[in-house]
Amino acid sequence: MSNHDETPENRLRRELPEEVRASARGAVNAPETVDLPGGGPAELTGRQRLAKSLWPPRVSRAQLIVALLLSGLGFGLAVQVASNSDSDTALRGARQEDLVRILDELDDRTQRLEDEKQGLEKQRAELENSSNQAEEARRQTVEKEGQLGILAGTVAARGPGITITIDDTKGTVEANMLLDAIQELRAAGAEAMQVNGVRVVAGTYLSDAGDAVGVDGNKIKAPYRLKVIGKPQDLEPALNIPGGVVQTLEKEQATVTIERSDKIVVDALRAAKQPDYARSSSR
Amino acid sequence: MIAVLGLVVGVVAGLLVRPEVPAAVEPYLPIAVVAALDAVFGGLRAMLDGIFDDKVFVVSFLSNVVVAALIVFLGDELGVGAQLSTGVVVVLGIRIFSNAAAIRRHVFQA
Repeated sequence: MSNHDETPENRLRRELPEEVRASARGAVNAPETVDLPGGGPAELTGRQRLAKSLWPPRVSRAQLIVALLLSGLGFGLAVQVASNSDSDTALRGARQEDLVRILDELDDRTQRLEDEKQGLEKQRAELENSSNQAEEARRQTVEKEGQLGILAGTVAARGPGITITIDDTKGTVEANMLLDAIQELRAAGAEAMQVNGVRVVAGTYLSDAGDAVGVDGNKIKAPYRLKVIGKPQDLEPALNIPGGVVQTLEKEQATVTIERSDKIVVDALRAAKQPDYARSSSR
Repeated sequence: MIAVLGLVVGVVAGLLVRPEVPAAVEPYLPIAVVAALDAVFGGLRAMLDGIFDDKVFVVSFLSNVVVAALIVFLGDELGVGAQLSTGVVVVLGIRIFSNAAAIRRHVFQA
């Protein structure tokens, strides 16, 4: 550098007068110089020196050294340009501050997207949860509908229980005796029952009708067959207790047969009836 | 003429070989190239002035490259590599422009 610094300084000092001289001479003596190319170096203009050095080519030590250095420069230049231009990412030439800023922006964006993702996942979890809850509620409703239907007599029921057959040849069995039997069975835990094809529910009423018995207005005749779903081990003793239903009926000379069964089907149905006055208080 | 041929040969070789720039040299290569360009313009101007000396050219070429690389290296070590690189490029660019102006005066007489 020091060498080089020194050169321009010398040049600068010398340049102005020389150049003025050269241009003045160029204006005046230009044809002469062209006519005499072999003149002294001091009389040549820069252009002529350039042309002279370019053609004809001379092999000298200086030329070879300069050629070597210039080939090195050309090599480095080409390599640098190639490595710069074939870099596929646009970030390669970016400055550090730009890179930091881009990185920050990416971080922010990542953060935002992460937040959004979390929100959406939470929403999805809530939706799944609520859908599960709705499913559960529906299932419970169906279950409850079944239970209430059994109570109200709107659906058929099956399960373990007993069958009671009351054979009344003398026509002495009255409605109150059947009612006693039904109450006793209810007290023993009967869950669904029917008598001669009429479902017995909470609102069932019995009435005497000559030699028959009216159950909810349907006249049924002996033999009375009660199908009862409940725990057989509870139902049967409840009827057989001393002074109970069976003894009372046998005193009236009716025959009572009780059969336990694992599979009783109570398939007599009642129509569901909308109450006229009572409304659910939960609404 | 031989020098111009050398430059052409170097460019062609660089384009053909396409070597992978080693990571250690990568930050210094562009600055070294600019410094060498500065030396070449200086040499061209000296030639047009008729005071070209191959020894001066070689020394200035090599010292330019080495000093430029050294400055960048120092800047990297000090943590101001980017700024110092910019500074070196600006200085060298100014010198290249002034040399180019002198060359232009010689070649075009204007």
